[in-house]
Amino acid sequence: MSNVPAIDRSSRWKAIRSEAGRAVGALAIALGVAFVVVLLTSKAPFEALNVLLTQIPQKPRTIGLWLDDAAKLTITGLAFSLVFQARQFSMGVQGQVYVGAIAAAYVALSPLGATWAGIPLGMTAAMLAGAVWGFIPGIAKAKLGANEIVSSLMLNYIAIELCNYLVRAQLPKPAVGVLTTNDFPDSAVLPQLIKLDGLNITRLDYGFVFALVAVLIVWFALYRTNWGLKLRLVGHNARFAEYAGIKATFIMVSAMTASGALGGLLGSMFVQGQGWGKLTVLFEGNLAFEGILVAIVARSRPLAVPFVALFYGYLRQGAQLMNIRTDVPAEVIGVVTAIIILLVSSSFSVNFVKRLFRRGPAPATSAVPAGSAAK
Amino acid sequence: MMELFITVFSAAFFVTIIRTTTPLLLATMGGLVADLSGALNVALEGMMLVGCLTAVLVSVYAPWYVAVVAGMGGGALLGLLMAFFAYRMKADIILVGFAINILAAGGTVFALSIATGGDKGTSINLPSKAVPAVDLSFLSGIPGIGPTLTSFLSGHSILSWIAALVVFAVWYFLYRTPWGLWLRGVGEYPAAPEAAGIPVNLIRTLSLVVSGALAGLGGAQLAMFNYVGFTRDMTAGRGFIALGAVLLGARHPVGALLAALLFGAFEALAVVMPGLFADAPAELIRSIPFVVTIVALVLFSIRAQRALALRGAK
Repeated sequence: MSNVPAIDRSSRWKAIRSEAGRAVGALAIALGVAFVVVLLTSKAPFEALNVLLTQIPQKPRTIGLWLDDAAKLTITGLAFSLVFQARQFSMGVQGQVYVGAIAAAYVALSPLGATWAGIPLGMTAAMLAGAVWGFIPGIAKAKLGANEIVSSLMLNYIAIELCNYLVRAQLPKPAVGVLTTNDFPDSAVLPQLIKLDGLNITRLDYGFVFALVAVLIVWFALYRTNWGLKLRLVGHNARFAEYAGIKATFIMVSAMTASGALGGLLGSMFVQGQGWGKLTVLFEGNLAFEGILVAIVARSRPLAVPFVALFYGYLRQGAQLMNIRTDVPAEVIGVVTAIIILLVSSSFSVNFVKRLFRRGPAPATSAVPAGSAAK
Repeated sequence: MMELFITVFSAAFFVTIIRTTTPLLLATMGGLVADLSGALNVALEGMMLVGCLTAVLVSVYAPWYVAVVAGMGGGALLGLLMAFFAYRMKADIILVGFAINILAAGGTVFALSIATGGDKGTSINLPSKAVPAVDLSFLSGIPGIGPTLTSFLSGHSILSWIAALVVFAVWYFLYRTPWGLWLRGVGEYPAAPEAAGIPVNLIRTLSLVVSGALAGLGGAQLAMFNYVGFTRDMTAGRGFIALGAVLLGARHPVGALLAALLFGAFEALAVVMPGLFADAPAELIRSIPFVVTIVALVLFSIRAQRALALRGAK
């Protein structure tokens, strides 16, 4: 594809436009369905929608929450993109986040955590732990053919229970019965990105920068290195890649391991970030799995991942606000997520919607478009 | 250690195994039907979860058997949704499956919160019903082995007996009826049945619907017998373990039954162990079924690879 630059450029823009159109179309449909659900269940549906869509930019605090969420979604989106590009369905990011967080917590709570090494060492330890957690299903699949979906999911549950156990019984904590560890020393917590007295963007820390750097690194690795070319080739057609002399198994394992390192990094961004600054049980709140949506909507393209993450993070945080301020539970966003994944990963296209609408009003001739839209 | 052995070989432990195995087994059978039709059903977890909630909510207003059927219906509906997106809309079936899991995880909590008026954790305030246990204490009348028979066979959920029936029915259907042959043919090599005029997409769709219904039935057992009531994410990975059991069971009903029993036994162990070893960390005991699943999967894969090598396929 890339050796015909003139055609390539225009076709690339076209592809980006059509993908963006699909994503926006899917988002519109998903929000429409969610709104119908809210309409049926809520006493103040319009207020809920208003909070969902317009409240975030009003306060620096919520903007900080949003950008922080987007940074984390970016990392998990990248982790899923890496394995999806190799056509592996490793679902282990959640577990990697937990083991990464555990490793980071051990470093941060050790004497080293109080020195300048707290952050770099914590992150490295987290990435190593995550990489190991990603390597296990990879090697089990490559060497033994064990299904990576099942093994990676099992490792998620094991990591969660491990974290529960260590926090409850092993790591130092402020009081008996509290399910958090001691606060990490300041030297082991990522500093705030923007520090202004009047402007309190609390959550936003250097994790945001790490997320952007990770985007560039993953993009470079996938599109500008030998390894990335092989990985994408394996993803397109593993057998062909094998015939071309590429060790498909090595690529699979390394993709899962690299994705695991990203998951581990996310773990350290959680516990060493401004939001936590300590290890708690179940800190991750199912964020890791949201990477599936981010990766699918971004078509596993690293450069598209942060944009999708920004949009989706906005929706997630909006849903949290809606949860607090209105009678609509935040979980309604799960409906939106599922519909977006279903539509974007299927042969759904904007033309499909157009066709649907063209066909829709035809039998019922009296139906006014405005009336059907409000329904 | 001695107490553990005594417990493991007691009739009460056997009953616990049957109790923990039943939801797993039903979901495994669902996964098997889907797997043989050529679809790896990763949505078993979500289908079970929706089965749980539907059964609980319906049982508040209707008799238990209506609730059980409703649970099956909830799972079947998700199967239909999955088939629509995977076969009509040509989406990747694994992604569709995970989308359904996300839908189920969020949707059940949402629906629970609406039904209970704001409680997002459990349905403890709803008077939901349980599936009755089958009382076979008349077996005690048999001289000699009567009391033993009673202690082993009495007190299981009706759905446990149905699950045993389901295993037989699935086996009979797959290997003794033409439709079973069609289903296996569709999963093996869709082009051949297509050429023979067999409605491939209909069979695939129906098998996902049946798969969902069985997973939903498993969910009903979980929420109306193992626990009475719904708690968020109460399936806790059972759907994924069932998926492992399908793979481990060599894609055969009997193999799947054995695999489900194995995982059920370890889950039962995790149930009784906290009572025996008070100082053993509960979290690590709870992760036993997951560890066992990985180990079993790896060991089985080694064996399968060796068998392949013996046949000279690779």
